Amino acid sequence: MTFLEKQTDPTSPMHWRGNMQADYLYLSGVAGDKFFKHLMKNDTFLATKCPECNKVFFPPRLYCEDCFCEIPEEKWFEVPSKGSIKLFTIATIDSYGKKLKEPKVIGLINIDQTDGSLLGVIKTDKPDEELQGVHVEAVLKPKDKREGTLKDILYFKKK
Amino acid sequence: MNRRIAIVGIGNTDFNSMTPDVSWKELMFEACQKAYIDAGVDPRKDVDSFITCAEDFYEGFSIFDEFVPDQIGATLRPCCTVCGDGIYGLGNAFMQIKTGQMDVVSVEAHSKISDLLTFGDVVLHAYDPLFEKPVSGPVERQNYVGSPSYPKEKPKPIVGSSNEKNRIHPYFLAGLEMQHYLKKTGTTEEQCAQVVVKNKKNAFNTPYADYEANISVEDVMNSEYLFKPVKRLDISPNVDGCIAFVLADEKTAKKLDVEPIWLKGFGWCSETPWLSTRKMNADYAKMASDMAYKMAGITNPKKEINIAEVDDRFSYKELQHLEALGLADSGKAGKLLEDGELDISGSLPTNTSGGSLGVGNCFEATGLQKSLEIVTQLRGHAGKKQLSDVDIGIAQSWRGIPSGSGAVAIFGR
Ligand SMILES: [Zn+2]
Repeated sequence: MTFLEKQTDPTSPMHWRGNMQADYLYLSGVAGDKFFKHLMKNDTFLATKCPECNKVFFPPRLYCEDCFCEIPEEKWFEVPSKGSIKLFTIATIDSYGKKLKEPKVIGLINIDQTDGSLLGVIKTDKPDEELQGVHVEAVLKPKDKREGTLKDILYFKKK
Repeated sequence: MNRRIAIVGIGNTDFNSMTPDVSWKELMFEACQKAYIDAGVDPRKDVDSFITCAEDFYEGFSIFDEFVPDQIGATLRPCCTVCGDGIYGLGNAFMQIKTGQMDVVSVEAHSKISDLLTFGDVVLHAYDPLFEKPVSGPVERQNYVGSPSYPKEKPKPIVGSSNEKNRIHPYFLAGLEMQHYLKKTGTTEEQCAQVVVKNKKNAFNTPYADYEANISVEDVMNSEYLFKPVKRLDISPNVDGCIAFVLADEKTAKKLDVEPIWLKGFGWCSETPWLSTRKMNADYAKMASDMAYKMAGITNPKKEINIAEVDDRFSYKELQHLEALGLADSGKAGKLLEDGELDISGSLPTNTSGGSLGVGNCFEATGLQKSLEIVTQLRGHAGKKQLSDVDIGIAQSWRGIPSGSGAVAIFGR
C-alpha cells in the first residue's frame, strides 16, 4: 500500500454529496414516431420488413441490421398487439436493491408475425407458473388517455 | 511492424466492497505505482502512452478522460480513455505499440462503484429509453429546465426513496438470459450454484479478493430468487479496486528485469443492442475468441489453452462463456464442472482467481482482473494455486447488463 495509515471508520472521511442532473429528450426518430403515432389511434402495432432478407423488425426500424439497407415505405405493415412469451423472469427487488411490494413478472414477448420481441410486464394470478410459449395480448390504455410512449401498453395478459 | 508485445508490469489494489479511505484518484495512483515499479519503468520518462478504461456514468464525471493524467503519471503525455472494459484497453495498447510510435504503453481500469449511490438507475439508463427501459417501471416526468412546470416545482428527491413507484432492478435481464441458457442446454440451477461454490473457494488463494467463502451448493440454492432463476448468490457483488498493466515491445521488454508474458492475441465484438433481435447466446464471446485464436495461431483451443478466466458476473455466465469460447461443447460446460475439470486440479482450470463471484464485480476492471490472474499464473507467481505446465491462457470479459459485447485476450509465455 502506498499510504502508511488507512482510514478505518467509513463515516469519518470528508466527502461531498453531489448528483449529476442529466435530463434528456429521447426522440423517437422517424420509425418510432410512426410507431407511436399509430399506437395512439389503433390497437395494433406496426412492423417493418427488410426488402433483402425479409426479416421482420419489431419494434419497426428504418434499416436492416443484417443487410445494412434501408427499409422503404411500402415495407411497413400492421401486426396484432399479441405474441408469445419467449422468456420470462420474476423480479423481486427495485433499483436500490429493496424488496418490491409485489414481485413483477417480466417477459420477452415475441410479437406475432414478426422476428422481434418486446419486454413487457405480464399480469398473472399465478406468478410461479410456466409461461414460456404462452400466448398473450397487450392491454392498452383507453385511446383518449394514450400519450404515444411505451406506457400506452399497460401490460400483457393471457388471452 | 511485426514486433511481439509483452506484459511487463502488473499492479493492483486490494478489492473491497467500499474504499472510503481513498479517493478514486488515489486508488488509481496506488495500482499504477505498483505496475510501474513491477516493470521497472518511470512513467514520467519511460512510458510513451497511457490508456484508461472507464464509463462516465459509473465515475460521476463528464468527460472522464480529462480527470485522468495526474494520478497515472501522464500529464503532458499522450493519454486517452477507452469507454469499455480493460481488455479493450490492452488491445488498443497493442495496436499503439504496433505502429512503432510507442514502445511502452500503460493500461489502467478501476471500479469505484461504491461512490455511486444510484447504481441500479444508472444501469437502467443502458436500456433503450423508448422501447426497453419503460418496462422497469414508472418514468417520472422530470422537472427539467424549460419544462412548463420549471422552476415552480422542486425536483423530487430520488435517492433512498422507497415506494411502489420504484423501478425494477436492471438485472432482471440476467433472469431472462439464464432461463434461456438453462432451457437451451439442459444445464441445471445446481450446476450454476456449483460455479459459485468453486469460485468463492478459489478466491481464498487470491489475496486481493473480497468475496471468498466456504459455502455449499445448498447455500446457493437456498438463497432467494431475485430474478428467477437468478438467485442472490448467483450474482457477483460490487467491489472497488484498480488494476494497471504496462506493455512493451519485445526489444524494450528484454531490457527490463522482468519475465515478459506475451499478449498473443485479442479480439472484441458487439452484438446488436436491441433485445428485440438479440439471440442471447453470448455470440459476442464466440466472435471475439475466433478473432483472438486466429491472431494467436490457436487452432484447437480445447487442447492448447491451459487456463481460462472467463466472465462470471452471474454464475451461468461462466458456463455459457466457456461454451461460446469453444472450450466446452454446447451444453457440456456444466458436466465439465461436475467432473472437476474446471477445478485447479482439472484439465481446464477456470477462474482460479475466484472470478467476479469470488473477487467481486469490478466493472471496467473485470477484464484486467481476469488478465492479471493469467499473467500471474504464466509468471509462476500464483502461490498456492499455481498450476504446473501452463503456457497459454485466455482472459475474457463481457460489458455487463444489458450489453451484448465483450473482449478476449490470449497470453503466453
Ligand atoms: Zn435484411
